[in-house]
Amino acid sequence: MTVARTIEDAAAALRRGEVTSVELTDAALKRIKKLDPQLGAFLAINADGARAQAVQADASFAAGLDRGPLQGIPFGLKDILATADQPTTANSLILDPAWGDGTDAVVTERVRGAGAVIAGKLVLSEFAIGAPDDAKPFPIPRNPWAADHTPGGSSAGTGIAVATGMVLGGLGTDTGGSVRGPASFCGHTGLKVSFGRVPKWGCVPLGYSLDSIGPMARSAWDCAAILNVIAGADARDINAAATPVEDYLAGIDAGIADLQVGVPTEYFFDHAKLEPAQKVAVEAVIARLDELGADVREVSLPHSDLAKEANTLTLLAEALSYHRLDMASERWTDYGANTRQIIGQAALFSAADYVQAQRFRTWYAREAARVMTEVDVLVTPTSPGPAPLASEQGDPARRLTHPSFTGPFNLLGYPALALPAGFSEDGLPLSAQIVGAPFSEATVLRAARAYQSTTDWHLQVPPIVEADGAG
Amino acid sequence: MPEATNVETTVRVLLEAAGLPVTDEELAQYVALYPTLRAGADRLYMEEVRYEEPALLFRAGATREETPS
Repeated sequence: MTVARTIEDAAAALRRGEVTSVELTDAALKRIKKLDPQLGAFLAINADGARAQAVQADASFAAGLDRGPLQGIPFGLKDILATADQPTTANSLILDPAWGDGTDAVVTERVRGAGAVIAGKLVLSEFAIGAPDDAKPFPIPRNPWAADHTPGGSSAGTGIAVATGMVLGGLGTDTGGSVRGPASFCGHTGLKVSFGRVPKWGCVPLGYSLDSIGPMARSAWDCAAILNVIAGADARDINAAATPVEDYLAGIDAGIADLQVGVPTEYFFDHAKLEPAQKVAVEAVIARLDELGADVREVSLPHSDLAKEANTLTLLAEALSYHRLDMASERWTDYGANTRQIIGQAALFSAADYVQAQRFRTWYAREAARVMTEVDVLVTPTSPGPAPLASEQGDPARRLTHPSFTGPFNLLGYPALALPAGFSEDGLPLSAQIVGAPFSEATVLRAARAYQSTTDWHLQVPPIVEADGAG
Repeated sequence: MPEATNVETTVRVLLEAAGLPVTDEELAQYVALYPTLRAGADRLYMEEVRYEEPALLFRAGATREETPS
């Protein structure tokens, strides 16, 4: 059996009767068994539960019950999202084992309700921040394209599992780039949604005013199919937006002849640490969008370097608020060394600094809104370059001095999608970011779909998968 | 930029005030990072932001269900 690489193809094959969910699930579990010990994507594998859900999905198909494209699809959840049938750890010794016991997060309820087959809980950076710590009893996630490079964080396990076909789709969370980073470094698509688009109830927080839960999958179509399931308000999340949900698949193939594309050169393209290969790849994406009919123009979004600072300060302050009871105790060293080092930085800021970051946020949001009256989307690099060496990931000075092309859009609450854009000379994935105005996920996905309809970067799989014989 | 000795004192006091039981090695890391962290925060106090309201929202009467525990 040839395993489909996308949800789109697998969903079609299921409906043509060419494959069953049990067959898809067994193939996924076989791949997990073979590859996961090398790649460290899973914290907990739910083989028995997945098979039972697959049997149920096949029974639904047989009975003529079709709950949409996720029905019968092997799927994974970042282990920061509560699941009633499996414990949630946040990849930490700190989280109370009783947290979320017997409870599904809103998004877990929704993907279950759509018939997805949940293969297990996926590795993350501890509490969605920091770097892996080999002194703690958790898997070390590795980049499937080059094991000595980082897969990105914090949704590392979801990134690895999607890139290697251990699952066909999954969920990550994004506070400063944690969906887009792993998607970028592992070579697939990932969508950070607008703040409030997806309810967060049942998700361990990192930065309350920045966190979002988003789809990770090979393609924009697949991300749209997932977003159709998880988007929409829930009374349990006070930050969930009442803005109406669209059908994100309905217009995805409409093309981009009407699209105005903005290129914010300052910071995103002229930063000294932007690597030439990444810049060239993203410029090629922009050129392709132009060829497809979009109107491309340069725009100015000033002080985006400070938006990174404001996002980081906000994230750290909100995180220390959540963690201080545990950190200011004998449990300090139960945290990973990098996690406590980063979150502890918040103690060095003042309350006024936090408020000032929110005042800057107001100003930057106005500047961005002005830009978005001129264009429909922005295109930028997702990161300064391909995945760095894993040994560099935890370097606190690097984190402070390196640019973030993702964090500014968490500060703004804008939707932003990472999509594969080629490979470096070393064979590592390169990635472009498409950003839209608040709640314009449909436009962002349409732009990405148009690009992916004429390229196949998003369909490439790491050599480790080809070697598995089921590429 | 503050004197180096003042940086160490400042960092030590701020970490102690937060109750974070850092090791000597961790303290040295924070001391090394502090000037960069402080400079980043200071840059947010820019003239263009002088009269902005913070992007904070409190709605009187709004309640929410507790998170899982």
